Parts: sequence; C-alpha cells; structure tokens
Amino acid sequence: MSELTISRRGLLAGSALLLASTALPAIGFAQTPKKGGRLVLAADSEPRNLNPAIVASNGVFFISSKIVETLAEASFDGKDGLQPRLALSWEGAADGLSVTFKLRDGVKWHDGKPFTSADVAFSALQIWKPLQNLGRTVFKDLEAVDTPDELTAVFTFAEPTPFQLIRNALPALSSVVPKHVYENGKIEDNPANNAPVGTGPFKFAEYKAGQYYRLTRNDAYWGKDEPYLDEIVYQVLPDRTSAAAALEAEEIQLAAFSAVPLADLDRISKVPGLKVITKGYEGLTYQLVVEINHRRKELADLKVRQAIAHAIDKDFVVKTIFLGYAATATGPVPKNDPQFYTADVPTYPFDVAKANALLDEAGYKRADDGKRFALKLLPAPYFNETKQFGDYLRQALAAIGIDAQIVNNDSAAHIKAVYTDHAFDLAVGPPVFRGDPAISTTILVQSGIPDGVPFSNQGGYKNAELDAIIVKASETLDTAARTELYKEFQKNVAADLPLINVAEWSFISVARDTVGNIANNPRWAVSNWADTYLES
Amino acid sequence: MKRLRRFLHTPEAIAGAFILALLLVMALTAPLFFPGDPQAIAGPALLPPFQDWSLPLGTDRLGRDVLAELFHGARTSLAVGLAAAAAALLIGAVVGTLAGFAGGLVDEALMRITDAFQTVPSFLLALAFVSIIGPSLGVVVAAIALSAWTGPARVARAEVLSIRERDCVAGARVIGMHPLEIAFREVLPNALPPVLALSSVIVAAAILTEAALSFLGLGDPNRVTWGGMIAEGRAVLRTAPLLSIVPGVALMLTVLGVYLAGEGVVESTAVRRSLS
Repeated sequence: MSELTISRRGLLAGSALLLASTALPAIGFAQTPKKGGRLVLAADSEPRNLNPAIVASNGVFFISSKIVETLAEASFDGKDGLQPRLALSWEGAADGLSVTFKLRDGVKWHDGKPFTSADVAFSALQIWKPLQNLGRTVFKDLEAVDTPDELTAVFTFAEPTPFQLIRNALPALSSVVPKHVYENGKIEDNPANNAPVGTGPFKFAEYKAGQYYRLTRNDAYWGKDEPYLDEIVYQVLPDRTSAAAALEAEEIQLAAFSAVPLADLDRISKVPGLKVITKGYEGLTYQLVVEINHRRKELADLKVRQAIAHAIDKDFVVKTIFLGYAATATGPVPKNDPQFYTADVPTYPFDVAKANALLDEAGYKRADDGKRFALKLLPAPYFNETKQFGDYLRQALAAIGIDAQIVNNDSAAHIKAVYTDHAFDLAVGPPVFRGDPAISTTILVQSGIPDGVPFSNQGGYKNAELDAIIVKASETLDTAARTELYKEFQKNVAADLPLINVAEWSFISVARDTVGNIANNPRWAVSNWADTYLES
Repeated sequence: MKRLRRFLHTPEAIAGAFILALLLVMALTAPLFFPGDPQAIAGPALLPPFQDWSLPLGTDRLGRDVLAELFHGARTSLAVGLAAAAAALLIGAVVGTLAGFAGGLVDEALMRITDAFQTVPSFLLALAFVSIIGPSLGVVVAAIALSAWTGPARVARAEVLSIRERDCVAGARVIGMHPLEIAFREVLPNALPPVLALSSVIVAAAILTEAALSFLGLGDPNRVTWGGMIAEGRAVLRTAPLLSIVPGVALMLTVLGVYLAGEGVVESTAVRRSLS
C-alpha cells in the first residue's frame, strides 16, 4: 500500500507541476516553441542498416529521417500535398521525359562539406534506381541526372514517366546521401550505412545495441532557429507492454507507431499528463490483406474467393481487432487517399449464407464432417493485429466449411515461405500504401514478378486485362487520365479478387503533454522533427 | 487397495490426487461441455468474468469463451505432459538398460551421448528443435522428450549395474537366454520402479515446457494451450489481467498436483520398502 500512496502523491505533484508549467506560457504566447531539451522515445525494432536511400521502410525512416533528408516532405496543406525540404521546387516536362529540381542554397552536410546537385545525381543514379527496394520500380527508366549548376538537378527518363508518380514518390523515396562519403567502395558495405551522414536537423551520435540510439542537434542546420531539441534518444523497448509503463513512469516522453497496445489506449488516455494522438500517420496507411495462392485449384475459382470475401465480417475486424482504430477496406486503395480512391467498386457484405451458397455452386460440397476442404493459413508475424486476424479468419472460414490450419513463422521464415517457396494457401499480409498505387500497390497483383520479391504478387495470379491497365497507367502522363486508370484498376481488383482487402489502419502516438508540434504532417513519425520541441 | 490406502495416507497425496482427478475430468469432459471448436467466437470481446452465465469466465480479445479454452487447454497440457513423459521414460529406460547391461564401449558411447544432451539446457534444446521443424503437437512432444530422457537413462543404468550381478541374471545366462532378452525381460522390470519415480517430475516439467513454448508462439497454433492463452492475455494485461491470471493459476495448480501426487507415490513406496 505504501508504494501506492507514494506514487499517487508523486503523480499528483507531478501533474500539478505540469499543469502550472503549461498554464503559464499558454497565457501569453501559446505557440512559441522552446529551445533545448532531450526527447526520449520508445523504439521497438533495431534496424541494422540505417541508410534510408537503400532501405526505404518506416522502421529505418523512424530513426534516420531526422539525419538524412529527402527532396520534399508530405504536407497537410502544401501544393500537391508536399512541402519543400532539400528541393525548393520541382517541375515535370510535358513529354514526361524530364523533371527539374531547384535545390536549397547554403545546406551543409554534417561533416561540413556543401550539399550540391552532384549529391542528388549520385543518390538517384547509384542508389535509388539500382539498390532501393521501392526506387527500383519508380526510377526504372531514369537515364541520367544532369547538373547544369550546383543547385539544379534535371532527371531525364528513357521512357515517359508520369510526373504525378515522381511527385508522390518524393517523401519516401528521395533520401539524399553525400556523394563524397559513398563514392569509393561498395555502397552496401559503406560504414555510413550504420552511422548515417546527412543534412538533417540531427546528427547521428551513437548506437548501443539493445539499448538506445542517440541523435544530437545539428547546429549548422539550414532551418531558421531549428531544430529546437538538443537531443533525441530512442530507447529500445521491444516488449510492447513496457512502452505504456515507461510513459507513465516518465521514462519516455513519446511512443509512436502504436508502441502502446490498442487495448491500453482507453486506460492511458485517462492518465493525467499523457495524450493519445491519432493524427500524423495519414501518409503511412497499412492495409490488412488476405493474400491468396492461385495455384490451389479451389482458390483459382472466383466463386471460392468471393465466398471467402463474404465470410469476413469487416466491421467485426475493425471493432474487435483494431478497437475502432481502423477503417474497413473496399479495394486496393485506402479510403483516406485524396487522389485515387473510388468507392465505386463491387463490395462483399458479410453474408455467411451467401458464402455457403457460392461454395456449393462452385462444387465444393460439405463432407460428412461439415468440411469442404482444408487450407494452410500463414498470418504475418509483424503485428499483433495480423496474428489476431489470422485467428479470426480461421473461425470465419470454419463457419463456411473451410478448415484452415494456421502455420506460425518468425518474420524471416514467413517471408521465405510466402514470397519465395509459395508454401501457403492463404496468408495475412500488411502491405503499405504509399500515396501512389504504382509505388507499392500494383506489384501486389501484377504478373511476371520474379520469385523472392517480398510484398509482391507471389500467388501465381495472372490477369492480362489488369496487367494491361497497370502498364498503361505507368505510361500515362496526364494526371486526370492516370487517376481514371487507377480507378479502373481498383474496380478490377475488387471484382476479380486477386487478394482480399479487409481493413486499413494507421498508427497511434502517445506522448506527454510537454511534447509540442506533434503530428503536424501526414508522415510525422518518419519526418525530420526539426520543429518538435519540449516544454519543461 | 492396500496400496491405494497407503498412497492416500498423507494430506499432500490427497490434495495432489484431487487436483489431478479434477484435471482429468476437465480434460475428458471438455468435448461434452464445450462441443465444437473452443476457439470459436462466442460473444462480445473482453467480456469480464461472472457477467454472463453462459460465459462464466468471460471472453478474450476476440470474444472466445475463456472457460471452454481452459477445459480444452487442460486436454493439451495433459496430453503433452503424459506423452512427453512416457516417451522420455521409454527412451531413458532403454538407453540406460542397454548401457548398464552391455558395459564396455557401448556403455561409454551411450553415456557420452547422454552427457552431450545433458550439457545443453533442456529448454533451449526444445526451443531449437521446434523452431527448426515447425510447431505441431507431435513435434512439441518429441522436443520435450528429447530434452528429458537423460535423467531416466542415468537412473536406469545405475539400477541395472547392480541388478545384473544378481543370481537370477546369472541363472538366465546359464539357461542360454539371449542377452537382449535378459536385459529387457529380467533386468529392466526390476530396474523400473526408481525410474518411474522420476515420472512426476518429468510430467510437471513437460507441462511447463509446453506452456513456455506456446507462450513464445512455438506451440501448435490450431489448439488451445494455457501458455498460448497467457501470451494472448499479455497484450491486455493492464485492462483484463484475468485473461493471463486464470490460465496461469490453472497451470500452477496442475504442476503442483502432479508434484504432490508424485511425492505421495514415492512416500508410499518408501513405506512399503522399509516395511519389507
């Protein structure tokens, strides 16, 4: 009991202090950020390669986006949803064969050398196009980058490339790394991949495996008065339940990427001094998808796929598994996408009777034990929610007489089983929508992708009509026509069900009230945090 | 009868026998009380216990009936515990008897293999085995047996070393019995009681190992296990602690019951020995 009293008193005192501290400045200058301070936050994974130009993934961006900057960042109110970073302006030629970037003046690398267009040319040609997981598709036709002067970079393409796609790709795919650090030796083995050098508001200071990453303020940053923080420390807390406790104990001030389990949010939102923020992830929408192996004779039948779609209660999934922090999906583009989404697609309302009828029609009658056929189901192990949805899907399929056997794997084994060995019938996957279907969405259904490419169509699905739309959209320069083609694409995917989109979700941040300027852009957790500050 | 009365002599043994009997009833009646898939969604998610009498212990994160899961989990725990212990005792007794009876090089070789298995921490061995072959009930049983047979092997060997010098063995040799026949028909039955005394420890350890493997996500995902239930409940530990506590208590009681009953057996046999 005595422990309880002490902590309660401590909490009261702490919250009183907090109240006082936030109340005072709020009277005069509510929005003035304060300088200094160390932000400690939870990190749940420890990426080894921190080079965002090579590994364009949110786990890497979470840390390295503060160190290495992109040409442009996503924005809530900027033109085309962008705000300038290393590039001040970008313009696409009418023929789709070139894009001109005007670069920011007076930017210095962390080692003091000036940032020039040569760095952009080097990053694009030597890293984004040949080495980057996402850049390989988007920049596949990039032929050369001309640098008429130090602050101009002109990308020229061998085939017409839609400017809309390049624009949408800028926030995630255009991390610029210094040429002078990378030009000698093999880029993949460069030591700067583990201790990145960039132009960002924070410099990489140290990494202690299993403990923390530490970033320090870049005093020579180009942003006026920025950054406000002196230090950012990523405390490694792999156990999801410990992040909430660490927040309450004031050991950390921020837990992003839903490090606090959804089931805990209701309780933690009532803790004084903590706030739950659902904004700031609009540009990072994850999709809950049932991947289908079309090599299985039963699953190659459209009626069976429709039956499975009808058997899934999407509202239940959103309400019970995501506790409301998600939306039901209608197709391969999430509802929150402002450019491409269309609701005008075939839908599959939850209807067990109809699903059973479809299976009967397809010729898969129930045997004496009530089962029609058995399937192997591989839920991706990356998120609690994907695993739980696997458990749910097994039950949903049992209701229509399909006996699904769950196979659990660790991350590496799951990727190998699904994307290389094709040893699955159904899999639960969380692909990411990155603002343009051509970046990482069409690859989920396109045919002709070599074995072993993760998060791509490895289910043996082939649809000439859909392939034609994807190819045509990748060559269409007119933004309106291109958008129309992707609406067509959504209709076709929803009609033929190469995969089943179940839900779309994003992440939640929990922060102490003292952390300011949170969630002020659609990719906030993976942006540069130059304007983030701490009231103390 | 006499033996049973002697077994029920101590209060520990009574308590142990009672818990085990209860567990056995739970395991056997699970399909009667809770027919169908215990993992089926039975009601609203995270229903607290004692709210709805059709779901007395409430529901978990997905709305599955916790009581049904508890009953079916008892089946898995008991099945794995007993099967793994039986396999471990069988392997151990055979290896120990062969080593003790044959002596010489065979003894050396078999005992060094036993050493090798004993030097690897048993849980790590089970963990490695399951993560390589893939989790299913049979593999989990094999993994646990693989890490538990060394104890019985050593005890069996020690017993055999003394028994093989007895007159009955010499007699069997004289009438021309095959050495293997002597080993398994004359020696092994006599060496068995002390080996069997290990069984309670092995069953208890096997149940715990199975729970630990399931907790780490290496159990059979298509079956309810108590370890898996605890792991599932961990994500909502602060909001619905009973989801972890209920299977945890069940697990503890089971291991305690097995242990107490085992103690009772050992004591009753000790009394019999001292009497004779």
